[in-house]
Amino acid sequence: MKRFIPEELPMGGFQIAPMIDVVFVIMLFFMVMAGAVKVENEYATTLPGNAEAPSATEFFDEIIINISEAGEVSLNDEPLAAPENRDLQRLRGTLLRLKQNADNAKTPALVTIVSDPNARYSRTVDVLDVLAQAKIETVTFTVGEE
Amino acid sequence: MAGGGGNMESGEPDFQIAPMIDVLLVMLIFFMTITSAQVLRVDKNIKLPTGPNAQRKDNGRPEAIVNVRWDPVTRRALFIYLEKPYEDPEGLLAELQAARKASEENHSRDSTGSFRVLIRADRDVPAIHVSKAMNTAGQAGISDIAFSTVNKD
Repeated sequence: MKRFIPEELPMGGFQIAPMIDVVFVIMLFFMVMAGAVKVENEYATTLPGNAEAPSATEFFDEIIINISEAGEVSLNDEPLAAPENRDLQRLRGTLLRLKQNADNAKTPALVTIVSDPNARYSRTVDVLDVLAQAKIETVTFTVGEE
Repeated sequence: MAGGGGNMESGEPDFQIAPMIDVLLVMLIFFMTITSAQVLRVDKNIKLPTGPNAQRKDNGRPEAIVNVRWDPVTRRALFIYLEKPYEDPEGLLAELQAARKASEENHSRDSTGSFRVLIRADRDVPAIHVSKAMNTAGQAGISDIAFSTVNKD
């Protein structure tokens, strides 16, 4: 009977080249995926309360942005963006000026978004995005009466 | 793992495979980590609106996440909290109150910020349903509200 000698078996040695190929392919996959990943963002707001103030409170002018059911955006009843316009360039320009005026007058820029109850929520987010660009942080969101 | 050196006899440095594998593996781990860490844990039935100028989500704060789905066929909204569906956001009231109380007891001594509600609403949902979710949060005594968006389509 022949004696079993392990050394006689054909040994497949560790191949470095295929391993590098595989690592490259996996890395490429994750690099491509990293570029396509969606990141969650947020717009923070605070609900208005009725806390008692220690002294008399001064009320400032309020900017009201209306969103119609179709998605038309108007500021203080002046239409500034058609429903299909997602860029809201005129609204952005106006809000930037109002913010600058408020900063110069050292008063907060108060904005209330009044959306039609049946208007799409994404339109509200479009307006919130423009407000974030204009660095207006005192924002209230409400819906009009049905 | 990697060994340095080169062919000192000829004076020319050799191509070293081991350091290259080290670098490759480090890059691979880096890309794997950022890809998996940023994957959205959002209800697949909800298409979030895009808000490229919104701030990055603060993951350190105690929060209750309310998903608002929209079915365009039946034209009905569905509110989801902790995997449980509610036809009317009023049903969430007790749950949100309990979550706020539990959070106040757990986080009363640290500075993680107040308890808030994060609303993840579908982009097509009518604004009235988002407003209803906000009202419910207000009734539960939660005044901090955040609207969730994604950075791109």
